[in-house]
Amino acid sequence: MRDDLSRHAAVLQGAGFILALLVAWEITSALGWLRPHSFPPPSRIAQGAWELAVRGFPEGVRVWTHALATLRRIFSGFVLAMVLAIPSGILIGASQTLDRLTHPVITFARSVATLSLLPLVIVWFGTGELSKTLLIAYGCFWVMLSNVIAGVKYVDPTLIRAARTMDTPGSEIFTRIVLPAALPRIFAGARTALGVGFMVIVGAEMIGTIEGLGALIMEARTFYRTDVTIVGMMLLGVMGVVFAIGMEALERRLLPWHRGLSEVRR
Amino acid sequence: MTGNAMPKIEVLRVSKHFGAASSAPVLSGVDLACAENEFVCLLGRSGCGKTTLLNIIAGLVPPSSGEVRVDGERVTGPGRGKGMVFQQNALFPWLSARSNVEFGARRSGLEKQAARRIAEELLELVGLREYGERYPGQLSGGMQQRVAIARALALDPQILLMDEPFGALDEITRLDMQAELLRVWSSRRKTVVFVTHSIMEALMLGDRVAVMGGGGIASIHDVAKDRPRSRSDPAVIRLHDEIWQGLH
Amino acid sequence: MNPRAADALLGLGGILIVLAGWELVARSGVVSQSVFPPPIHAMVIGLRKVPLPDLGGHVWISLQRIAFGFSAGALLGVVIAVAGGWYRVFGNLVRPVVEMLRPIPPLAWIPMAIVWFGLGEPSKVFVIFLGAFFPVLTNTWKGMSNIDATLLRAGQTMGLSGPELLIKVAIPATLPDIATGLRIGWGLAFGVLVAAELIAAESGLGYMIMHARQLGEVEVIILGILVIGAANLVTDWLLARVLANWLGKWQDTTRAE
Ligand SMILES: Nc1ncnc2c1ncn2[C@@H]1O[C@H](COP(=O)(O)OP(=O)(O)OP(=O)(O)O)[C@@H](O)[C@H]1O
Ligand SMILES: [Mg+2]
Repeated sequence: MRDDLSRHAAVLQGAGFILALLVAWEITSALGWLRPHSFPPPSRIAQGAWELAVRGFPEGVRVWTHALATLRRIFSGFVLAMVLAIPSGILIGASQTLDRLTHPVITFARSVATLSLLPLVIVWFGTGELSKTLLIAYGCFWVMLSNVIAGVKYVDPTLIRAARTMDTPGSEIFTRIVLPAALPRIFAGARTALGVGFMVIVGAEMIGTIEGLGALIMEARTFYRTDVTIVGMMLLGVMGVVFAIGMEALERRLLPWHRGLSEVRR
Repeated sequence: MTGNAMPKIEVLRVSKHFGAASSAPVLSGVDLACAENEFVCLLGRSGCGKTTLLNIIAGLVPPSSGEVRVDGERVTGPGRGKGMVFQQNALFPWLSARSNVEFGARRSGLEKQAARRIAEELLELVGLREYGERYPGQLSGGMQQRVAIARALALDPQILLMDEPFGALDEITRLDMQAELLRVWSSRRKTVVFVTHSIMEALMLGDRVAVMGGGGIASIHDVAKDRPRSRSDPAVIRLHDEIWQGLH
Repeated sequence: MNPRAADALLGLGGILIVLAGWELVARSGVVSQSVFPPPIHAMVIGLRKVPLPDLGGHVWISLQRIAFGFSAGALLGVVIAVAGGWYRVFGNLVRPVVEMLRPIPPLAWIPMAIVWFGLGEPSKVFVIFLGAFFPVLTNTWKGMSNIDATLLRAGQTMGLSGPELLIKVAIPATLPDIATGLRIGWGLAFGVLVAAELIAAESGLGYMIMHARQLGEVEVIILGILVIGAANLVTDWLLARVLANWLGKWQDTTRAE
């Protein structure tokens, strides 16, 4: 009862505060205290969103085109990374020698900031789609790989021992114990990787394209349309949230036995 | 104990329910009085509300109705007059065993030097002198509990509330600790409320044993025996059987 | 042989295999060496084009930007999260705002950073600040809301309350989460560095490699990438050491369970 009340109070307070901020923003803009170019008021942003949806920015390139381009790039890079990282991670995690052999290389590759590869992939593959896909794939791959390895490597030995006492053959121990036990961690890796994808895409789209949300927000700024920039930022945020929720739902679907998502992420 | 002196702790018609007011109460109308320097044991089945009652006495949890008085004054919150040993490990994991005990000693108003000395003494008392530098995570469950007891003692409170403090100990250490606790109690004179689910432990330690059940104190048993007591004492065995019957 | 030495040896072997493979492909002539130079060659040429003092200068500038942005982000993140976790009303007000802004990738703020702060240093530091701010904030907040209630109660029974309870119990109990946030934040600060230095920079590692692209100096780009990776690795290791020291031994012992 009291808990419910305080939760309602929290939501009300939070929503009220945001509303108050928006109203204050609008009013101070109307009074001319905030420069509309630096802080376009909510009404202006709404207008920008409408324009983006109907006429497009630049003219003719509508918001769906931008969002779809971004999604397509993230998706292809992410899938490529998954396809490569999951089998290799399982292989490395299962073999101690491989793990030790690759550990420093993987650690270093992870430390290389993905966007620092931007100039190199441009030299190698130009400014087209391939470069963007590869950049995203690179960022996602190493995060994913180290999570898959850790997932396979750190399976609770008690589980394996329990399986041994039940005379489970080695191959089955792997498919029926190790893999399921590693799945939560693999999922955690996939979610982190997706976050990396969203982070990299914006940088990647700042160069050599006018399509995609990253390109949109940069273009809009050069044309003094910060309202459109903010719409683009909001869209990126919304997409990130939607994806995170989708991944969580998928995880709950596929791993109904696993509740504590937070327990595996450390 | 003598009836005319004001009780140290008075629990007056305390009720407690969690969540909606309609939910079944954990405690309903509990009355209990503990005299100054008395050792009272609370006994009862798991889930009967022992921890809840202790938390209310400590002032950590407000009662839904009724009140608790200490020295005639209504308890409105926790404070260092009432030391507590928790059922779960409540040591600060970022402090070494010694620093944990020292923390308690410092809270009782001692200077750093004095606090340090007291901490040493108390660690010695609980048999962990060599383990002062260890962090709680590096100690076994029983050792952690002994540090927690030392910390509560370092606070030097007038009232000591102990929630199954020896639950995690092996039988041998448990007996040693019981003896130690009695020694500390008789030399420092504190009012102790001691929760346990072991009838024998309650009978070895308490002046009185309050058996909880059905949301309140089901029965109170005087243990009019000098300490140290023997487990095979016929009077003890008789009380044991009496309480045992009552719990069924 | 002891396992650590074996680890090191095998790991070194792995690195050598990668380098050798790279060298072989580069020398095989499948692709032009000017586009895909062999590793040692790339380093040598790269260092000839950007001599060590210049390179050091770029590293220094970049590290400074990261240090500024990170410190500001970490400090503000910890302060807001601790206050929000402790003072309910403040938390109720701030949390939704944070949750709305958090999903926006730090790089997406670049255009607005330029509008607000111009093309100079502050806009770069601002983007790096954002990279560090959110992970520190969310981890600290998570730590604050997951404090074991028994610890707080133990503090209360020892007479602590209010700000004293916050400082002596709640914050120490949150330190491991703060440390986690700091490390993630440091990594992200590095991650956004290059993009931040795309903002009309005249110096820094990000500028160095983007400039090299315009000049077509692949060797400098490769050198820059490796230096950025190494700088990240080394500083992260240092940070981990500092944090471990700062947390004391207790963190390892609880994690081991
Ligand atoms: N915070 C809480 N919210 C809801 N219910 C609670 C809460 N704390 C305790 N209870 C309920 O109150 C009852 C009594 O709990 P309490 O912890 O006091 O039992 P106990 O006698 O100490 O048991 P044990 O011997 O197992 O420690 C239990 O049914 C428990 O589920
Ligand atoms: Mg209990």
